Amino acid sequence: MERQEILEGLLEVLRTVRTIDPARLEGVTEETDFLTDLSAPSTELINIAAKVEHKFGIEFEDDDIDRMGSKVKDVIDLIILVKARGENK
Amino acid sequence: MTEEQRLAILKGALTDEERAAFLKIIQEGDLVGVSPTQVLLHGPTKRLVNTYHWHSPNKGIVASYTPTDRDVEDHFGIFRGVDQVESFAQASIVSCGTFLECRKQNCTPDQLMGKFIPAFISIGQVNFHYYLESGDTYICLANIKFYKWRQMVCDGRIYKVPKDLDIDKYFSDFTEERLLKYDISKDFRLVAELFDITGRAILIELFKKNE
Repeated sequence: MERQEILEGLLEVLRTVRTIDPARLEGVTEETDFLTDLSAPSTELINIAAKVEHKFGIEFEDDDIDRMGSKVKDVIDLIILVKARGENK
Repeated sequence: MTEEQRLAILKGALTDEERAAFLKIIQEGDLVGVSPTQVLLHGPTKRLVNTYHWHSPNKGIVASYTPTDRDVEDHFGIFRGVDQVESFAQASIVSCGTFLECRKQNCTPDQLMGKFIPAFISIGQVNFHYYLESGDTYICLANIKFYKWRQMVCDGRIYKVPKDLDIDKYFSDFTEERLLKYDISKDFRLVAELFDITGRAILIELFKKNE
């Protein structure tokens, strides 16, 4: 799965997050920060992670969430990592 | 808590028999009958839970505390609202979260203590209706709304307990359905409603990464 494809899937997830203004999703890049650029409350990251699991059919470990950063690229990296981990099992 | 105190608690470990018995409770039972001193290991002088009266590991808990003179010192004899929130958090997200994580890792809280620090993530709305004085016993009724990745969110209420009530006996046949409806006697006086009390067990190494 290419990064652009993951980004598009992630944007679909973000459009369902009540606390994120859809207008802010225009022009989102991998450098966009959920907290500073999208003004998402930090507690929303857990909800986003839960929705990402469902959207991409993956399962995060506790440690994945501990180390997850707040930028779009951090989540994309994590999705790629978890998908690869699943394929290697 | 100093590092020395933390290590002393870890060193003062349970005997093999005690650990086996505690693990059996963790895997097959609940927190009723377990002393909060065995579960709430961080900041023992600031522990604000006396007894667990009812517990359904995935649904919620009922726990009580009676503020002491020390708890109300310099505050007109009144137990502070902020301490009520702390007490509720200890009774709910910390106790219930610790129990579930111990169950997952098949370990006891003292073993978990070397890996994680329980931390507040968020406090939602809190509405206060009444007050508590030194010697007043209150209960925290907490309902687990979310638990994943060591993060727990609870809603709940705090009630002042009627004088001379046997709380263990009263809650001996309590149910999850009654918890969700706060179905208890009108003799309990509502003190506070709490929403979205959120906490997480954070890896110690992440706490210390900037040191």
